[in-house]
Amino acid sequence: MTSTREGIGEWVLLSYRLPREPSTPRIAVWRKLRRLGVAQISDGLVALPAGARTREQLEWVSEEVIDARGTAAIWLAMPATRAQEDQLARAMAAARAAEYQALITAAERAAASPGTDPPARSAAIRRLRNEFRAIQRRDYFPPAERDQAQAAVQRLAASPEAQAVQPPGRGSQPARTARTPARTARTPARTVRTEARPAGTPSRVRKETT
Amino acid sequence: MRWATRAAIHIDRAACAWLIRRHVDAQAEFIFVSDPAEIPADATAFDIVGAELSHHAGDCSFERILRSYDLADPVLWRIAAIVHEADLDDQRYDAPEAHGLDMVLRGLTMIRGDEDILAITGPVFDGIYEFCRRAILLGREPE
Repeated sequence: MTSTREGIGEWVLLSYRLPREPSTPRIAVWRKLRRLGVAQISDGLVALPAGARTREQLEWVSEEVIDARGTAAIWLAMPATRAQEDQLARAMAAARAAEYQALITAAERAAASPGTDPPARSAAIRRLRNEFRAIQRRDYFPPAERDQAQAAVQRLAASPEAQAVQPPGRGSQPARTARTPARTARTPARTVRTEARPAGTPSRVRKETT
Repeated sequence: MRWATRAAIHIDRAACAWLIRRHVDAQAEFIFVSDPAEIPADATAFDIVGAELSHHAGDCSFERILRSYDLADPVLWRIAAIVHEADLDDQRYDAPEAHGLDMVLRGLTMIRGDEDILAITGPVFDGIYEFCRRAILLGREPE
């Protein structure tokens, strides 16, 4: 666990109860909470480190619960002991670590199948990068697997098969429709986050300045 | 008319304020509250817990306002897709611009107050509207 916060921090909690039926809103709420990366304290009680954003996101989930004829409340709370907070943070870090690990496995599998045609490979790279960003957004206590996952996706993008996707003529119309492969092949050494920039940007900037 | 919303503006509230001023109420006056109990009786609340013009049925507040005021302009719905993804990021729409816009708004919240952010984002959304309008007319990205 690599929490950088001093002492014990504040957490935002959502306590909620939803009728067992219909199941659709239950599943929708569960999916939202999963996407937010909440720590499950107990049945119907979840937590995130408190912040304007996390609090607002949990408030919207509470609205959704109430709209679905459930009951929900938002709380601001502090764990009474450091150990209790560490336990929450460790559970969250472990959950993210498992997600990053799945990403690493997928990236290695894609890298190990040299027969894959270039468009399929760049589609896989794009998908894995999106997945990486999604995990990172709900990663409040980054585990070591984060950097490993980033490196695994980067290795896949830098592999000879991915490099084989040649960029079409720069600045021409086709270059703008084939964005991602062009960017991937041109800038293999960049980090995942930098590369995620839309590839059309430089050409547009160039046009405006001429 | 007076409109009340939650203090600490982010993408959805900034976009809603722009939408209200440009397409619903040109004289709109905005009030920022930190608790729904502080909403004045004569104000219409948006993007705050308990309000009708807020997150419901999977919509963000911007989409809610479009539906409530029968704003069927496809350009506004394109902006709704971007705002929705920037705010909720649930892949309901394909809007790759969302992450960039989210970053711009989050950065602004770090250096400016709510009134300033509204003043800055007004022309930003005007520009986004014009870009999306031309893109829809042309069927591709405008130059």
